[in-house]
Amino acid sequence: MGYVKGNKTLASDIAQEVFVKVWKSLEEFREESTISTWIYRITVNTCLLELRKKKYIQPYQEYDLLPETQETSHPNKEKQLKKMYQCIAKLSKGNQAIILLELEGLPQKEISEIIGISHEAVRVRVHRIKSSLTKCVKNDSI
Amino acid sequence: MTAFEDLKSQWNNQDQPETPEDGAKKVVDKINAIRSKQRITNIVLGATVMVLIAFFLYISAHKFPPVMIGLLIMMGSLLIRISLEFYSINYLKKMNVSVVYEAFKSQMVTYYRQRIKVHFIATPLIIISYCIGFVLLLPAFKANLSNGFYNYILVSAIVVLIGLGLFIAMEIKKEISLLNEIKQDH
Repeated sequence: MGYVKGNKTLASDIAQEVFVKVWKSLEEFREESTISTWIYRITVNTCLLELRKKKYIQPYQEYDLLPETQETSHPNKEKQLKKMYQCIAKLSKGNQAIILLELEGLPQKEISEIIGISHEAVRVRVHRIKSSLTKCVKNDSI
Repeated sequence: MTAFEDLKSQWNNQDQPETPEDGAKKVVDKINAIRSKQRITNIVLGATVMVLIAFFLYISAHKFPPVMIGLLIMMGSLLIRISLEFYSINYLKKMNVSVVYEAFKSQMVTYYRQRIKVHFIATPLIIISYCIGFVLLLPAFKANLSNGFYNYILVSAIVVLIGLGLFIAMEIKKEISLLNEIKQDH
């Protein structure tokens, strides 16, 4: 959902597209990686491919489609989460993919196999993105 | 807990969208919709070509060289443009989405560079040849149509040309910005 700024409908559209692509590409799966890594690759690439469509590149007026959180009683945290979506959207596409996979809790080794850069490069980039994202959420700049 | 860990914990506390009960059906429907869309596109294009050939024969264009040349240039330009569009759509469809992100990004960059070349070089040439074809038809229109209808064709062609030019400019702008966005990674 981070790719589409928390918009559930667009996220569900992309999820469907990912399933279609997984189904179509299943014959090409050669067990060189785990099936989950392979599906994550398709997901990240499909997000990049889908973003060319008009509905994904138009800026959203408001983040009103954000999911309700369990912490609605904490408006400050809610605000921070909205800010986080905005800050993620400001990152480059590759950095968005890396940080969303990191937030998903994937090991950096697996992220490197999805993105196609060394484990060390992922480590450095994650560190850099984490600090700029934290700074952005706190200070309104990236 | 570090500031980022705090953000991560908030991120993971969001409600996850529920898995739709009819998810599999939706995916199957989508696959069928893609197939039927392809079938409809082929039917529409086939019908267009048939209508053009029928029109060509109906007005006995082959007996009037300037009309024939004009129509052939116009139809040829359209066919080249449609072929380029099909090539482009097929390129996108054939992209391997299961490769690593960096390799996929390179495929996307190549795709957008090709698109921009088409927009900057091929499309203007196609539009120019289409216009030449149209101009070659004008004397025949003038000789066979009423003055009012002739003027209507002339004015509407100019309006369409301006509209098309604006549309192409917007497409170029959009694709250049997407290319820059994809290339931005570091």
